[in-house]
Amino acid sequence: MPDYDAIVVGAGNAGSAAAITMAQKGLSVLLVDRSDPPGAKNLSGGVLWGNDLARILPKWQSEAPLERFIQDKKIGFLTDKSSIIIDFKTKIFEENKVGYTVLRSKFDPWLAKKAREAGATVIPGITVESLAKKDGKIIGVEESGDIVTASVVILAEGINPRLCIEAGLRGPLQDWEVSVGVKEIIKLSPQKIEDRFNLSSSSGMASEYILGNLEELNVGAFFYTNKDSISLGIVAPMEQLRENGVTHTYDIIEQFKEHPSIAPLIDGGTVAEYGAHMIPEGGLEMVPKLYGDGYMIVGDSAGFGFSNGLVLQGMNYAFLSGILAGETAVEAKGKGDFSSDSLSMYRQKLENSYVLKDLKTFKDIRKVTNNKNMYTTYPKMLESILLEMLWERGQPKKKVRDILGSCAADLKMSKLKTATDFYYIYRRM
Amino acid sequence: MKMLKIAVMIKQVPDSQDISIDPVTKTLNRSMARNVVNPPDVNATEAALELKSKYGGEITVITMGPPMADTALLELMGRGADNGVLVTDRVFAGADTWPTAFTLASVADYLGGFDVIFCGEETTDSSTGHVGPGIAEFLGYEQATYVHKIEFQDGYFIVTRDIEGAEETIKVGKPAVITITLNANEPRNPTLKRKIEAYKKGIRLITNKELQLDPACVGLKGSPTIVKDMKTVPDPVKNPSKPGIEELDKVVSVLIEKGVVK
Repeated sequence: MPDYDAIVVGAGNAGSAAAITMAQKGLSVLLVDRSDPPGAKNLSGGVLWGNDLARILPKWQSEAPLERFIQDKKIGFLTDKSSIIIDFKTKIFEENKVGYTVLRSKFDPWLAKKAREAGATVIPGITVESLAKKDGKIIGVEESGDIVTASVVILAEGINPRLCIEAGLRGPLQDWEVSVGVKEIIKLSPQKIEDRFNLSSSSGMASEYILGNLEELNVGAFFYTNKDSISLGIVAPMEQLRENGVTHTYDIIEQFKEHPSIAPLIDGGTVAEYGAHMIPEGGLEMVPKLYGDGYMIVGDSAGFGFSNGLVLQGMNYAFLSGILAGETAVEAKGKGDFSSDSLSMYRQKLENSYVLKDLKTFKDIRKVTNNKNMYTTYPKMLESILLEMLWERGQPKKKVRDILGSCAADLKMSKLKTATDFYYIYRRM
Repeated sequence: MKMLKIAVMIKQVPDSQDISIDPVTKTLNRSMARNVVNPPDVNATEAALELKSKYGGEITVITMGPPMADTALLELMGRGADNGVLVTDRVFAGADTWPTAFTLASVADYLGGFDVIFCGEETTDSSTGHVGPGIAEFLGYEQATYVHKIEFQDGYFIVTRDIEGAEETIKVGKPAVITITLNANEPRNPTLKRKIEAYKKGIRLITNKELQLDPACVGLKGSPTIVKDMKTVPDPVKNPSKPGIEELDKVVSVLIEKGVVK
């Protein structure tokens, strides 16, 4: 008899969601995390969409340490001197509060506590050394020479899944599969935040930008309001950073913070924390085999995330994949069968959910996010068009068609190239 | 030989790496700090584990603190301590070193006394070093402070103490309180298996219902210390005449002139 029905490695959103799902259904669960309190070292941009969390924790909105609900969502482009932003503020978000800013160092320990309350044994402060294998099956985990066994091991190690890689369950991370996120938390009084962003004491703003002021790199940026701080950061593709070799991520985040439309927003704030993290951006191509005899892979470890440059999501994919792996384990326990065949239900559940549907729908999205014009030429083009249209300079006015033509010419873009680019972006987004 | 009955008195403290001084109120800002076991207490636990492995024994780690301090005990049980005892009660809150030592001594007594009680030399959040000796006094145990090496021979502890600029080896009888210096040893890490066992076993809670201590002698009421003021020491003013690296030649010539170097 194994020691546990299931061992979950990693108390992030995916791991804790899996542990809660299984423990709620009476499975014996061991959840192990390297940090103490569990999950306290985890990091992400910080907007959580909680539809899936509600499936296992219906009262999450009143119980979880949340910062502000997202009432105002902005997306836009920044060029050297301008910002072009769509500001979407809606009552609909206020009536259906599902998006919240969170600080993971508070939220994740809470979620792990929920796993403990559901009956899981949660062990913090331990780094699992390797997976234990027998006859080609994963039978548990190994640490300090001890083996703890389970019918199934759920790997929720995060973006750099050392155990999966060492056990040959997936290859080492490739540059094209990930972006580097660098984040700062800037302390600012709630009063200032609410005044500057026109918010109430509970509402918040989340914005995502394409940085059009960097020549060589396709960099996105984010800016979120917490209760008494701002989370901001940049996301740059690892492949381009390595190719470029000279631009440092900390220079990029400084440039972002100094941008004329960002600097006044954080004026008077002090940096309280900073960190860096990798983000899965390889899409469907980076997804490994998700299950096998005695194991399943969830969350970032499985490459589940979504980014199209202007929308960046990962936590919801983590919750849902964790829940679906948990449900699969519960069913496997019922059948008494934790073989690869039985656990293939996990893949099926993912196929039927938005997790793999999104990755399939947007399988070509990297062609958009890798398109350099998206990050340099088009933001500039947009800026030129708006300058032509909105700036009275005592000159004769032009039709939009002519503005577009002259802008394209200025930026050395052929009309055909621009048109085909737009067509592909339109099709892939 | 009878197994040694060993206790380790520990405290959960905010991680000193995460503490900053609020520039306005000049008080310590602990809100960002996670809680850790007071570092010398980890050395004290290791000393207990080494003693146990050489001479046999049972180790009980004890802390007085809020309910969340249980994680500190579980952490040390994960390193090999056998039992964890959390002394928690609202009447114990706000205690300075006097009632803390008194309460912990009462707990040791309530648990039937120990052959040896280990403590860290001092805590990183108050740095008094009072509690260990205080426990010894309340219990009437022998004591040795600032110890980094322990042998147990013929019923005596042969301990080596750090005294400023030198070492002192003394012999103390049983029962004794021994306080251990930071970095006295290299603490072993917790293991998964031991931590699982610790969480399974859980910790024992002791409140004032069991101890029946006079509320006037414990917690804030029993604390004679009054903090009158707290000051932040300003950064030392940089000496404007302090020479830079570019003036190294000048410095050397002055030193030669004064006969300091030849």
